[in-house]
Amino acid sequence: MKKLVLALMAVLAVVALTACGGQKSGKTLTLMQNKPEIDAQLKAYAAEWGKKNNVTVVIKSIGGTSGGMGPQLKADYAAGDMPDIFAFDGLEAYKEWEGVILDLSNEPWVSKTSVAFKYNGKVYGFPVAVEGWGMAYNADLLAKAGIDPKTLNNYEAYKAAFEKLNAMKKELGIDSVVSMAASVEMGWVTAHHNFNSLLSNGLPYGDLSVVNDLLAGKVDEQRLSEYADWVELLFKYADKTVLLTGNYDAQVGAFAAGKAVFLHQGNWVDPNMKTANVTFKMAFAPHGSMKQVTDGIFVAAPSFYAINKDSKNLALAKKFLNDFVETPEGNNYMVKEALMIPAFSNITLNPEGQLSKSVQEWASAGKVYSWNQYYFTGDFRDKILTPIYNQFAAGKISKSQFVALMKKAFEENAKK
Amino acid sequence: MKGSMQKESQLVFWLFLLPALFAFIMVMVIPFFMGAFYAFTNWSSSAKLDGGLKFIGLKNFIDSFKDPAFIYSFGLTGVYTLLSMVTVNLIAFALALLVTSKLKLKNIYRAGFFIPNLIGGLILGYIWQFIFNNAIPALGKVIPFLSALADPQNLMLSKNTTAIIAMVIVSTWQYAGYIMMIYIAAIENVPEELHEAAKIDGANSWMRLRMITLPMVAQAFTVTMFLTLVFSFKQFDVNVSLTSGGPSTMLMNKPILGTELLALNIYNTAFISNNLAMGQARAVIFFIVLAIISLIQVYVNKKKEIEL
Repeated sequence: MKKLVLALMAVLAVVALTACGGQKSGKTLTLMQNKPEIDAQLKAYAAEWGKKNNVTVVIKSIGGTSGGMGPQLKADYAAGDMPDIFAFDGLEAYKEWEGVILDLSNEPWVSKTSVAFKYNGKVYGFPVAVEGWGMAYNADLLAKAGIDPKTLNNYEAYKAAFEKLNAMKKELGIDSVVSMAASVEMGWVTAHHNFNSLLSNGLPYGDLSVVNDLLAGKVDEQRLSEYADWVELLFKYADKTVLLTGNYDAQVGAFAAGKAVFLHQGNWVDPNMKTANVTFKMAFAPHGSMKQVTDGIFVAAPSFYAINKDSKNLALAKKFLNDFVETPEGNNYMVKEALMIPAFSNITLNPEGQLSKSVQEWASAGKVYSWNQYYFTGDFRDKILTPIYNQFAAGKISKSQFVALMKKAFEENAKK
Repeated sequence: MKGSMQKESQLVFWLFLLPALFAFIMVMVIPFFMGAFYAFTNWSSSAKLDGGLKFIGLKNFIDSFKDPAFIYSFGLTGVYTLLSMVTVNLIAFALALLVTSKLKLKNIYRAGFFIPNLIGGLILGYIWQFIFNNAIPALGKVIPFLSALADPQNLMLSKNTTAIIAMVIVSTWQYAGYIMMIYIAAIENVPEELHEAAKIDGANSWMRLRMITLPMVAQAFTVTMFLTLVFSFKQFDVNVSLTSGGPSTMLMNKPILGTELLALNIYNTAFISNNLAMGQARAVIFFIVLAIISLIQVYVNKKKEIEL
């Protein structure tokens, strides 16, 4: 009896110990990224790359709003299991991980891009891609209504166009003029992307004057009230079902099905358009958040790869990033497989998606405004601003209340 | 000789307990106390350059109670728990009565009512989101009598009050089958003689339910009440996938998330507001409150059992 128990104990102890030890055979390179839509493509590319470099590349993809990848990364950090390469989206996320992010200033790809993540003059992030958003429009429907998209570049032009389109709903076969989402789940459309119109529309690229004022609690009432007009316009001419309860699929689907003329999203919807077999022509027009003409769309790198300073495979991690830029396979993966707009000047391939092409056209014409929403914390955007937009969309507060609540939110944020 | 036998059987007892005890200590006890410790610090589990872990006393607890969103979540969780305890138990008990009666195909019904419990809460939430947002309005468009359902103003998930009702509906659908199983076991244990005797005395079925079945299954009520209370209070997955905490509402002149239950509020505090230590403090409060409420509930229910 005793022996049996002892034997059982021994087996148990061995199992427990080996389970804790884990396997350490062969080299692995781990990358955690926040774009689930390119997960399959990246995994395929990484498997090929791994074979050539004799290493197993593990890709972990976790998407969503600012709460998406963060929890997993924190859990891995607490467990001492940080990935070798991980994605982050901007200044606030950089500060969270400042202690482990490697300085990449001397990498060969740095000179080939203008959108790498820089802080205090040093490069810390490899730009994953270039992305852009504006008002995506259905060119066929606009032509049918006799509206020239080139004229859409300020509030008055949009107001007139929306009114005209709204009156022609039956003829055009649409449910609403704009496909807009403002539910709490879609807070990233309102409180991240649309919010950026307030922060950077009409300003020179990289100009942080408005951001710094707002962070300090100084609110330009004129700019804010013009912006509120624009938000009201978008909400007013949106389909109420999509606006208040729709998710990403509902919002993008309405545009893809030709049920809305405009879509408030970016070029990342290209793959969705492809799967929906969309045949109509589309492109981006600027946002009309101001009375003055703002002739440009919002273009930047949405996220960056950082290398973990404590990684055991620093050389491999650096090579992995560099090969995206320097090898034809890497270029092909970024542009043809993942359908991204490359952020590097040496890459000659062009993306296939209509909206991605439109972003490239705006960018090459130099008509771009920056992404400044990341200068505000995820907490401020998701928990303070999102409910304000949602209240406004549901018609529970008036425009003047919206302005007052936004102003108060900035003032309270500055005190923190 | 006898003493060593006893010693050996004690040893065996502990050895058999060891694997479970080991797992329990590693994944429950240690994290619990570590978490309670972190609640009093500025812990962030990230590589910030802010000088590391600092002890900050009760600040996380005090700040939590100053946050209207947290207070609101507290009240809301109470209301939600009450509503869903009532509906889950009522419906589960009614279903249990139904499938223990002389019904054809009752085994198929039992399995059918139980199956929703086997679907994960996250998936359930997305399925019901589709039902509330697409299927019900579509029904309204087809059937003229129900045309009000197609009006976007009447979508259940578009207002925070009705969205909470929607959550109660989904969780009732999910848990009623499970709780029903417990009631079935209890009802089937009621001796048939009691019913027969009562029938001879002229008791109708309502009287038999009230005077025989209900008192005889009082023990089951202790269990089901406890389970539904804890399930509802800890509701998270359906909350995330069905409403994400929305739509918004106003409290103390501040727009906040209108259907954010406590568990989701703790998660959001930790991972969206990037304040893990405060999330941990809220989790400690959550634990204490839930422990007190469920102890009271078990005490009250047990008392009913004894009185019989």
